[in-house]
Amino acid sequence: MRTSSRGWRLAVAALGVAFIAAACGDDTAELGTGVTEEPCENPAGGVSNEANGCIYLGILSDLTVGPFAPLGVEIQRGQQDFWARVNADGGLDGFDIDIDTYTRDTEYNPQNHSQAYRQIEPNIFALAQSLGTPTTEAILPSMDEDDIIAGPAGWWSGFHFADQSKGLIVPSGYSYCLESMIGLDWFQENGPAPIAKVAAVGYPGDYGGDVAAGAELWAEANGVEFGGFLPTGPNALVGTQDEAVRAILNSAANVVVLGVGPAETAEIVGKVAASGAPVGSILFLGAGPTWNPALLGSPAAPALVGLFTHVSPWEDFTGESAGHEAMRAAFGDATPINAGYAAGWVWQYPIKAALEAAADSESMTRATLRSVVDGLTVDYEGIIPQATLGGDPNENVNRTAVIGRPDPESPTGLTTLASAIRGATADAFEYTQACSGA
Amino acid sequence: MTARQTQRALTRGRPLLYAAYRQEQAIWNTTTKKVVTLLLFTIALSLPIFLNRDLMGVASLVVVYAIGGIGLNIISGYAGQISLGHAFFMGMGAYTAAVIGGVSTNLVRGYELDLLIWLPLAGLVPAVIGWLIAPLAARVRGLYLAILTLGILFIGEHVFKEATWMSGGSGIGRAPTTVVLLGFDIFQRRTIVGLDISAIGMFYLFSLLILVVLGILARNLARSRQGRAFAAVRDRDIAAEIMGVPLMQTKRLAFTISSFYAGIAGALLTVVLGFTTPERWNLLLSIDFLAVVLIGGVATISGPIAGAMFVVLLPRLIEWGARELPFISTTVGSNQFLNVFQLQRILFGAMIVLFLVLEPRGLYGIWIRVRNYFKAWPFSY
Repeated sequence: MRTSSRGWRLAVAALGVAFIAAACGDDTAELGTGVTEEPCENPAGGVSNEANGCIYLGILSDLTVGPFAPLGVEIQRGQQDFWARVNADGGLDGFDIDIDTYTRDTEYNPQNHSQAYRQIEPNIFALAQSLGTPTTEAILPSMDEDDIIAGPAGWWSGFHFADQSKGLIVPSGYSYCLESMIGLDWFQENGPAPIAKVAAVGYPGDYGGDVAAGAELWAEANGVEFGGFLPTGPNALVGTQDEAVRAILNSAANVVVLGVGPAETAEIVGKVAASGAPVGSILFLGAGPTWNPALLGSPAAPALVGLFTHVSPWEDFTGESAGHEAMRAAFGDATPINAGYAAGWVWQYPIKAALEAAADSESMTRATLRSVVDGLTVDYEGIIPQATLGGDPNENVNRTAVIGRPDPESPTGLTTLASAIRGATADAFEYTQACSGA
Repeated sequence: MTARQTQRALTRGRPLLYAAYRQEQAIWNTTTKKVVTLLLFTIALSLPIFLNRDLMGVASLVVVYAIGGIGLNIISGYAGQISLGHAFFMGMGAYTAAVIGGVSTNLVRGYELDLLIWLPLAGLVPAVIGWLIAPLAARVRGLYLAILTLGILFIGEHVFKEATWMSGGSGIGRAPTTVVLLGFDIFQRRTIVGLDISAIGMFYLFSLLILVVLGILARNLARSRQGRAFAAVRDRDIAAEIMGVPLMQTKRLAFTISSFYAGIAGALLTVVLGFTTPERWNLLLSIDFLAVVLIGGVATISGPIAGAMFVVLLPRLIEWGARELPFISTTVGSNQFLNVFQLQRILFGAMIVLFLVLEPRGLYGIWIRVRNYFKAWPFSY
């Protein structure tokens, strides 16, 4: 008898616990994965607003040994400061942002990226950063299943098209493919010599591939010979860029578009300059991620100053807009060591707009967040023109760029030659599908 | 009274008395072993109910590492042939599975065939390659064998990087195979007897099943005539040959079976990781598996399982522990003295060294010591 009454008591207690658990569940029904009523573990900027819940954002970046690590660390810093500012302003509709707890270093390796994604996915609301094109592509199918949206640290054209990005990537600015076109348009008009033959050197996959596709499309549209896509890899994988240098010298191109990392850029430009080819006979146009001011401290600095032109989607830290002022106020007196900081900052505007839209609909679930992305208007505080996500990329994509040249005197290592420029080829281009990887 | 009844009557209350050779050689030769195995299996089976998706990923990794570890233990532990080429055979299995069972893209080939086809082939293709190169490996031993298998690893890595139709190429990679058994997608969230099991939880259960089957097969192999031949070759190959053990054939068999296990583990590993690049199948992975065997326990089946738990869980435990230590940064990029990822690497290396020096028999050895202490209690001195 005793045993049986004890059994009853246990059963009743278990039932009670189950009811309490169910009741708690109901309370939090509108908050999806990665959003809590409890305060953040590590609120951005260390600012925790009383009574605020928490939104956990993940970061999958290249922070230690990958080819973009110097940029990755600054990108992360830019993001931290962006969200610290949001938290300092009272948070986002009753939530603070935590961007540190689920930061992982994936070393620009698609496999590490996938593994880290699986680790943090059960705890995040969205990815504030997924650095790299092949890395982001590696996790896209999983993101699709989990309704996770991501701010890309990269500009692959596929991110603009729902059949590739599955409506999960919230890009800012142009794509590498348009970047090559705008850059080459500018170069043709303002460069020291007309482009006789253009080649592209880049990482295999859709970063280098997209840069090269843009160069090829530009060459085709302008009746210029295309010297081909010369693939290379990060030094961590291929050791040196000697093969790429040899391919460039053999290609007979007088302008080479680069889609590699900063260290590889310096090595390629430096070695081509030292190869004995007549000075200025081969000039370089570098995509956004090719530049790091620290290269001006490398032995390749003179070659870079003379031969390299940089294309970027927005003005670096020293720009004039309200957004630039805000980032300067957040950073303090010094200047960031590279353009990663500004990029990290800018890439957060679409995430913030999406979070606000989800909060407005009073359903903080990943599915809601995903559903608000298409057609979402993003205000960049003047850093780049206001943009609409999704919809028709041909209409909505930003086709402006900033052209810079290495300058040891400038605090950012680059002197802006032209900002918010457009290119005739890029403007005329029918942007109806991804330039590479389709 | 039958022989069996006599045996039972004799051994009742005398757990360590074996009345028959068959009884001593049984897989579970004591009641305690039976109970503990059953208990552990039940716990392992129930994990998907308690653990979240992230931890289920870790648990799946343990299971897959255990399969690979058992495979390496067959060649290195039981047969005593050091192999650094394990990662190559794993990669072979992974790509066999990915090509046969995976999805085609503009970069890689995939035929989306059933698990019933890709799973056996993921083991058989590396096994055949192992069988073909075994005669080379069987001619040398010790350091030379290590170098030879290292050579195989490097050739394999090069092939993987170049065969982009198979691997996606260096720095790009490819998605793993689909896991569909007769139209039933195993990697899919399901409700089983009212319990919500995540996709990775389902895959974990599937991998657990494979581990149990392959574990029992390996244990049976170790108990068989071939298993004893492996041990004889390991302990003194010349003596083994004099006793009539065909040296070449035995080494070749060990190499082939080990490659089969490696292939299966490789195929499953890519599914757990979700993506794979050719750089994955490198020396570091082989060393990971040597650590599984060395830390777990050489020439055992339970050893690699414990070793796999140790190798896979250690980084995660360090990550959790580091959150409590103020001088260790849990975020990357800060200016603190150490971050958690650096600490992981340092401790992992230190643990391997400590095990090799202090407990060469690995976790299995520690377990034996603990067991003997309590067995002899109160006279444990």
